[in-house]
Amino acid sequence: MMNKSLIGSDQVVVQNEQYIASDMNGETVMMNVESGKYYNLGMVGGRIWELSSSPVSLENIVNTLVAEYDVTYDVCLEQVSEFAGQMFKEGLIEVVAEKDGLRVE
Amino acid sequence: MTIFTVNKTINKTIYQAFGLHFDSEILLPELLQRQDTQEADVNIEIQDLSEWRSVVNTRENNFTMQSIGFMFEIPNTALFCIQDGKRIGIHPFPDADMDKIRLYVLGTCMGVLLLQRGILPLHGSAVVINNKAYAFVGESGAGKSTLASTFVQSGFQLLSDDVIAVSYENGEPVVHPAYPQQKLWKESLDLFGMSEDQFKPLHDEVSKFAIPVTKHFHNKTVPLAGVFELVKMDSEYVAMREMNRLERLHAMMLHTYRGALIPRLGLKQWHFSSAAALAGELFALQILRPTTGFTAPELMNQIMRKIYQEEMQGDTIYSTEHFN
Repeated sequence: MMNKSLIGSDQVVVQNEQYIASDMNGETVMMNVESGKYYNLGMVGGRIWELSSSPVSLENIVNTLVAEYDVTYDVCLEQVSEFAGQMFKEGLIEVVAEKDGLRVE
Repeated sequence: MTIFTVNKTINKTIYQAFGLHFDSEILLPELLQRQDTQEADVNIEIQDLSEWRSVVNTRENNFTMQSIGFMFEIPNTALFCIQDGKRIGIHPFPDADMDKIRLYVLGTCMGVLLLQRGILPLHGSAVVINNKAYAFVGESGAGKSTLASTFVQSGFQLLSDDVIAVSYENGEPVVHPAYPQQKLWKESLDLFGMSEDQFKPLHDEVSKFAIPVTKHFHNKTVPLAGVFELVKMDSEYVAMREMNRLERLHAMMLHTYRGALIPRLGLKQWHFSSAAALAGELFALQILRPTTGFTAPELMNQIMRKIYQEEMQGDTIYSTEHFN
């Protein structure tokens, strides 16, 4: 229905505190405390969640993942940007600010 | 204050339940006794909690953590305080019914105590099949006790008929035996050909009866091998389906005994992590059963077939699943 929402590399995201998360066989599962809705973020998704425990730019997340996984920066950025977009849509993360202050485009 | 003149010098009775030893000032005839030890993990005591009455007896403060423990008041019965998973304090009110006090000690107090000790209590019944525990969980009236009773009638042993205490031994989930009692609805007694005047009605659950199970009680901790979630459904036959991981997680969260008290105990994160750890590798089936007609023996046969199939697949039971 809508085009994919993407989060740009310079946007800063942070976990939504309404969720509790836990490890389940190496993957991260979550629950929204208010709605009781459950999510499985998988392994890499769980790492992204973990990295956004305090405000972090998408660029920093991608840099970390590139160091940890066998993936090129561009591919990683594309996938993380889309995944973060989904997380944002579901309310799992919040976009707190642009990295270098507000951008006007 | 005559109610507090309990003679503390009498020989103490050590009771056993949920893998714990209890030193109790009130009689707990439902529980098994231990003659071989005087050591206790938990003390159940008559305690003067008068000063807390005015704090706890408001709607907002009943069932809350106070500085001395988790407290709740049941009008005309008692004020209860559960402290650090080590002590249950009871302040009985005048003319309180001891049966009713015991019901809360064995119910809500035990649930809170187990949670405080990091033992996950599931609400349901558990039986032993091939030296492993299988748990039946579900909403009230889903048929957990009736099903467990059917297993018991067929010669299997019961671990619990209300609170299933799950903890870990060497990284594996285990179930600790509760106490040798079954709770059955009147309708179930009738079906099993038992007469209700032989048994004691449980307080507040007028059509539920307590039935002692002696030789069919399994008094040893056993590994938890699987969970069956019973769900009533409008249909004519029984259906079984494997639950995926998030469904299992949800079921563990939903069927935690006294789960509603967990946020008040400050144990939300612990609860979620425990449920996730348990649900991760658990063999779990959802059983959709018809609302009418007695299907417990048929259900038992189907469950036995499933368990047999699972056990044929290897020692450890992992369920197959697909995500997204």
